[in-house]
Amino acid sequence: MTARATDTEPRPFGDIALPYALVAPAVLVALAIAVVPLLYALWLSFQDWYLLRNPTPVWGGLINYEALFADAGLWRAFWRTWIWTIGTVAVEIALALPLALLLNRDTAIARMASALILLPWVMPFIVLGYGWRFLLDSEVGALHGFLQAFGLAGNSSILNDPNMALAIIIFISGWKGMPFMVLALLAALKSIPGELYEAAAIDGATPWQRFTTITLPAIQNTMLIIGLVLGILAFYSFDLPWIMTRGGPQEATTVLGISMYKAVFTDLRPAYAAAISVVMLAILAVASFLSLKLRRRQ
Amino acid sequence: MNEESRWRSLALDLLTLAVLALVLLPIIWVFIASIRPDADIMTRSLIPTRITFDHFANIFSRGDFLVALRNSLLVGGIVAVCTVLIAVPAAYSLSRFTYLGRDFIGFLILATQMLPAVAVLVPIVVIIRSLGMANTLTALTFTHLALGLPIAVWMLKGYIDAVPRELEEASIIDGSSQLGAMFRITLPLIRPAVVAVGTFAFVLSWGEFILALALITSAEVKTLPLALQTLFDPYSFSWGVVMAGGVVIAAPTILLFLLFRNQLVGGLTAGGIKG
Repeated sequence: MTARATDTEPRPFGDIALPYALVAPAVLVALAIAVVPLLYALWLSFQDWYLLRNPTPVWGGLINYEALFADAGLWRAFWRTWIWTIGTVAVEIALALPLALLLNRDTAIARMASALILLPWVMPFIVLGYGWRFLLDSEVGALHGFLQAFGLAGNSSILNDPNMALAIIIFISGWKGMPFMVLALLAALKSIPGELYEAAAIDGATPWQRFTTITLPAIQNTMLIIGLVLGILAFYSFDLPWIMTRGGPQEATTVLGISMYKAVFTDLRPAYAAAISVVMLAILAVASFLSLKLRRRQ
Repeated sequence: MNEESRWRSLALDLLTLAVLALVLLPIIWVFIASIRPDADIMTRSLIPTRITFDHFANIFSRGDFLVALRNSLLVGGIVAVCTVLIAVPAAYSLSRFTYLGRDFIGFLILATQMLPAVAVLVPIVVIIRSLGMANTLTALTFTHLALGLPIAVWMLKGYIDAVPRELEEASIIDGSSQLGAMFRITLPLIRPAVVAVGTFAFVLSWGEFILALALITSAEVKTLPLALQTLFDPYSFSWGVVMAGGVVIAAPTILLFLLFRNQLVGGLTAGGIKG
């Protein structure tokens, strides 16, 4: 909804300035927290600044970007981040689709459940991260005991196993993000006219046929757009892998967010970390552009 | 409803409850562990032998946890108030006036919501350190202000859009100014939404982790998520105490959720708040 113009007569200056004055504090916060830091990161990424060697930044040209392309560990983190992102979104869809279909009924239980399902999304990472660590703990963890009974875990927690840690944290990441997808899919499902299903039932379509010819086409755009939004969030993950494993064991769960954090706080190379941020932002810009185009097409 | 579809509906309801319990199990487990004695937890028995509040008594007797609790309340409270004070006029401006650059300003505010905190972490940390403001609650408060502000502006704009302008016009004819009409007519009508966005802002700040981790190192300015990390001392800690700490951090989120479920769903669909 857009506001109507109040009048067409010329207004006194006070009236013209008023809307700007009202919105100014919000714009200042946006500038201070987003725009200025982004420009500063760009400038920083061209500096030569390694706290152990030179305590003040000097112009370094492309030095950080050259180092970044030569950094084998960072390349591994880069590809791992794509696995992480695609894996997280895949888990989100795999969990959300059956849940949304199950919750798309008008009973009191279904309504209550579609509200409570939001809890993983709204709960702080720190609580969920420690909760899952507790479940997976090799000495006291209930889930660890369960996995052990099926021969899926040894005596040590699977979070210590480089081959398993990434998969399990991707699953947890997808579990946390899933409610947002459920919510979007429920909205899309509710907008499908019931007559379509009735007509299909008269034509003798099987449930599977109804799903593939009516339900899926009606929700696939939502799935794609929300998948992109969730993918962008996943690409920037830091909290969950940090709280669960600090990027380990070895570097099995080191995604780019963790590489960047370690570049500043462990290696004391803020300019290099800024260059990583810039590369991540460039990828984000492409993804946002894509999602915008998709929204327009819809 | 015929007999067969009623049974089908009941079966699906039961399935829904079972699936819900399974999905929420990790959260339920945190709550259960927080009231079980350590001996129970160590034996991995599923049936609690007794209920205890010792873990809560334990964390609330810890000075560092109490300091963190105070800091989180302080930061979250100021963030909530400032978010409301900044978001209400901004939303009113975007909703009620047409002016040059309005759409761009609206986009700019929404775009900050899309920007993940990790993306601007490095420059923000460098700027705040060079201002000498690392390890201050002021810096943390200011950065936390950005967490909920965009969604607050957009939610409130939706609510203000829904208030008929005629109500304000009537008040203006009676002699009040535009701002007077906003205070007297529109604000009281959207009060539930104002309370909701304030609460969102509080909860987002309360559970925020990465900015606090990057900006805060000294014990006296730690917030609760950092204090929970400290509780998890790898050499001597009790899972019960850590889970009790988790419950303390989770509690306002659950409360918010129960109170403002509808507004929360509205906010999620409006742009997607960060988890």
